[in-house]
Amino acid sequence: MSQHSSSHRRAARFVAVAAAATAGLLAFSGCSTDASGGGDTSLGFTQAEQVADSPITVWVDASREPAVTAFQAANPDIEVNLETYDGNAGGSGSFQSKISLMDQAGEGWPDVVFSTQQNDAIWASKQTTSGEQGFAAPLNKGFIEQDFLDGFAAGSLDYTTIDGTVYGLRNDLAQTVFYYDQTLLDEFGYEVPTTWEEYGELGDKLAAEHPGYILGSMGDSFMTYVYYGGSESPVFQSPEANVFHSDTADANSEGISKIIDGMLANGTLVQDSFFSADFASKYAGKLVGVPGPVWYTGAIFQGALAVPAGQIGVSAPLKWEGGDVAAGNVGGGVWYASSHSKNLDAVKTFLEFVTSADEFQVDASSGYPAYSSAAEKWLDKQAEAGYFVNDDFKTVMSDAAGQVWSGWNVTSWSPETAWAKIVIPGIADGQTVESLLPAWQKELENEATVNGYSVD
Amino acid sequence: MTDQTTRAIVTNGAPRRRERHALTPGQWIGRAVVVLVLLVFAAFFILPIIWLVLAPTKTNSQLLQEGPFSFGSFDQLAANWNELFAFGSGVFTTWMGNSAFYSFTALVITLIVSVPAGYALALIEFKGRRLLLVTTLIVMLIPNTALVLPIFLELSAAKLIGSPLAVILPFSFFPFGVYLTYIYFSTAVSRDLLNAARIDGAGEVRVFAQVAMPLATPVIALVGFFSFVANWNNYFLPFLVVGGTKIPVQVGLANLLANVPAFNPTTASSIVIQLPTLALATLISVAPILLIFLFAQRFLVEGMTAGGTKE
Amino acid sequence: MNAGQSRYGYVFVSGYTLLLLAFGLLPTLYALYLSFTRNGAFVGVDNFVRVFGDYRFLPAVMHVALYVLFWLVSLIVLVVVLAIVVHGIRVRWLGNTARFLFYIPGAIAGASSVLLWLFVLDPSVSPVSALLHAMGYESLINVVAVGNLPVVFTVIAFWAGAGSWIVIMYGALNNVPVEVMEAARIDGAGPVQTAWHIQLPMLTKWISYMGVMSLAAGTQLFVEPKILAQATKNIVPEDYSLNQLAYLYAFRQNDFSGSAAISVMLLVVALGLSAIFIFRGKLFERD
Repeated sequence: MSQHSSSHRRAARFVAVAAAATAGLLAFSGCSTDASGGGDTSLGFTQAEQVADSPITVWVDASREPAVTAFQAANPDIEVNLETYDGNAGGSGSFQSKISLMDQAGEGWPDVVFSTQQNDAIWASKQTTSGEQGFAAPLNKGFIEQDFLDGFAAGSLDYTTIDGTVYGLRNDLAQTVFYYDQTLLDEFGYEVPTTWEEYGELGDKLAAEHPGYILGSMGDSFMTYVYYGGSESPVFQSPEANVFHSDTADANSEGISKIIDGMLANGTLVQDSFFSADFASKYAGKLVGVPGPVWYTGAIFQGALAVPAGQIGVSAPLKWEGGDVAAGNVGGGVWYASSHSKNLDAVKTFLEFVTSADEFQVDASSGYPAYSSAAEKWLDKQAEAGYFVNDDFKTVMSDAAGQVWSGWNVTSWSPETAWAKIVIPGIADGQTVESLLPAWQKELENEATVNGYSVD
Repeated sequence: MTDQTTRAIVTNGAPRRRERHALTPGQWIGRAVVVLVLLVFAAFFILPIIWLVLAPTKTNSQLLQEGPFSFGSFDQLAANWNELFAFGSGVFTTWMGNSAFYSFTALVITLIVSVPAGYALALIEFKGRRLLLVTTLIVMLIPNTALVLPIFLELSAAKLIGSPLAVILPFSFFPFGVYLTYIYFSTAVSRDLLNAARIDGAGEVRVFAQVAMPLATPVIALVGFFSFVANWNNYFLPFLVVGGTKIPVQVGLANLLANVPAFNPTTASSIVIQLPTLALATLISVAPILLIFLFAQRFLVEGMTAGGTKE
Repeated sequence: MNAGQSRYGYVFVSGYTLLLLAFGLLPTLYALYLSFTRNGAFVGVDNFVRVFGDYRFLPAVMHVALYVLFWLVSLIVLVVVLAIVVHGIRVRWLGNTARFLFYIPGAIAGASSVLLWLFVLDPSVSPVSALLHAMGYESLINVVAVGNLPVVFTVIAFWAGAGSWIVIMYGALNNVPVEVMEAARIDGAGPVQTAWHIQLPMLTKWISYMGVMSLAAGTQLFVEPKILAQATKNIVPEDYSLNQLAYLYAFRQNDFSGSAAISVMLLVVALGLSAIFIFRGKLFERD
């Protein structure tokens, strides 16, 4: 090297030229992504240039694929590209990550996205870091008629409404009720529990007299809504914007945790996920009763466990002894329209179809439609099939929809991740939920801080 | 080709035979331990692959209930095959095509830039040569994932995210290839040979193209192999820089996972990927590399052995 | 040096140099720039302080450190033992077969290998479910409990990566002259003593090479926890490793500066290791 030292300068110049060339190459290729055309802002967002009859891309989870199939059958003129993804399940954040990538690319956005979470409007309504408009198109500023929006069950669009602007349409309501297997209850001579205390006691009795039969599962992270939301535990609250509050030491939180611990210990609550490969083979005919969202009807009883009609009943959500009835809310997916869509007409047709048309919501959806007229037909369909043993199941379900506890809020991150990280592995490891409460709260508060919330 | 590589990079001493002796009890135990260790590790390395080859021949319930190394049926294999390729209107084919496109294009660029670079570093004196060589070594020893996020940030600033170039160009940067060709040219091609050609009046380009290149076939194969394998198996970079229908199969596999009911809670019915189909997807995703490994087995193992022999 | 030749030298290296600048130097400099700025303004080490203060950072460092430790130890011990054992096989086809069997999993890397291991680790479908059950694991969740993950990742990485190192070590062992081995045998040294006193010293250089490379690669842990997180619905946390955290900063929090700060830290570690090895080690001395 030393003998060449006199010519360092030339080498340096060469490097500089190469660097400039590289920068040029990168800058050149960057020119192609500028937006063009469009610019109409009459619907509350800047429209992309519309291309009539262009295909629309729809992201759904696998469970919502029948919605797309039904749409294609009913609207053969509109070309739909279906892409399945995890549906953001468990608060995986894949929806946001994927859109973030598209925002970077400045292209490639899907036209419609279904998410199983309720909190996506919080980020999807915001401008991107580079100042582009947020992904979710405002829906009530002229894009979708108010008449149609009024057809949704009261309050069902609250989660996706930010400062009066609606960003997403609710697919289904997900209030919890109590499901029971009348055949098994009769056989064992048990009553349907109405309170959390009775639920726990039933667990003790069942474990002692009929071991092997179960009253639910703790294997899925959405159990946080079923058991803590449903028991009015103030674990996940956002009293005002960007403020987070959690109290796992509250009497309700402690109480429900003790009940869960007892039932985990006696085996009436299992740790297998409802959706694990062998859940049906292990527990078909063994599920005596379970608190859960109304979409269990299709997803678990008619689907995975294939329980025939005339065996299952539903009763009001469990409450505390002497307390008022309160339901938890477990999802109820949301449809979003892209503000970047090149075929908003098709997107509008699609959104209205999948949320309200009988072909999907009544015939093929597993849950309780959020669109009121579809919900009535869905309930009629269950009645016609005589699926539920109790005649008042319609009232039970629709009452529960109005009893969802308001003390469980939606924030920019999902409550499910902390549950998955702390509680599920903890109980798998043999610890009690009660002993995990402080760590769980700590994790929730840490997540709040990372997401820019102040902890109250 | 194998012989040439071996001669070029290597002198591979084969283990020599020795005379047999009667074994003492201690030696028997020693030998038994050795055999046991070898068997255990052979099983560890190979059983998962055998399982992976057999799993796609079964139905979901066969997979869950039958012995892990049982064979299902060819009909079921065909059914799983159809399920996989029907998924998302054949998106798996698109992913495989993307992988092939990215890996091949990058491989071609890698060869076009690496071979002359390695040649020049080995056989031509120029200022900055040593700097370039040391830089190459340093970058070569950095795990390629270390640069992925910085490259993503850079491509994002350059607004290249989402373009196939965002995958292909970083893939094409393969310092290890330059190092390999450098080593190869500096040991396999003598300067005298080149000088002789120069004296005959050949220009530099002709010396490279007509004297050095014909000798370079083995190293081109080696660099090609390593580059292709690295590109094909890369998950992190394409995961960050391309989305939608542009993803390669490695990223696509992870997407498939989202449609497997066992791993995803909201999947209740309708189109789902069953476990044997996921196993089939995994197998197909590695099939090109696995085939290269099987067919180039001697070449590779000897090449690697040679790498260790080389001092 | 010949001026004409040297000009062609530049031409020949130009394409590669361009790529080196574009995807080696430039991203590094840009990440450095981002890590010391926020929205374009210089903020000193603020980004680093913020990342250090993130409650996820220290656990991620610990996770990665523990995994790297497990991986290094198992690599060094097992690879050396297996290389010596395989080298000791007198039957040639057997030795070749063993090397090949050890090497072949190297074909399966990235997401594919994690997916394959997802099956192997899930007691309901695993080819070694009996073993998993015997160890007290009833479900995937039990197997991939956070405390087990360093071992799990070590097993996956060892499975895919150890073979090529065994083959390389095997090659290095070929350098031990037969006469030396014979002499040791005649002096009454058993195979263990021979391995310890004669073969192992021959391998030290390669062992240190393997150690440094694996250390650098281990800190980069990403695809394994990423896919396990997805498969277990985040029971394997999505912020397990440092690269995952850097990913979350960029894609979830839209905080490129924080993401760059983590990348820069990881890059410094990798660069440092690689530079030490090149300037202090003797492996690449040929110029």
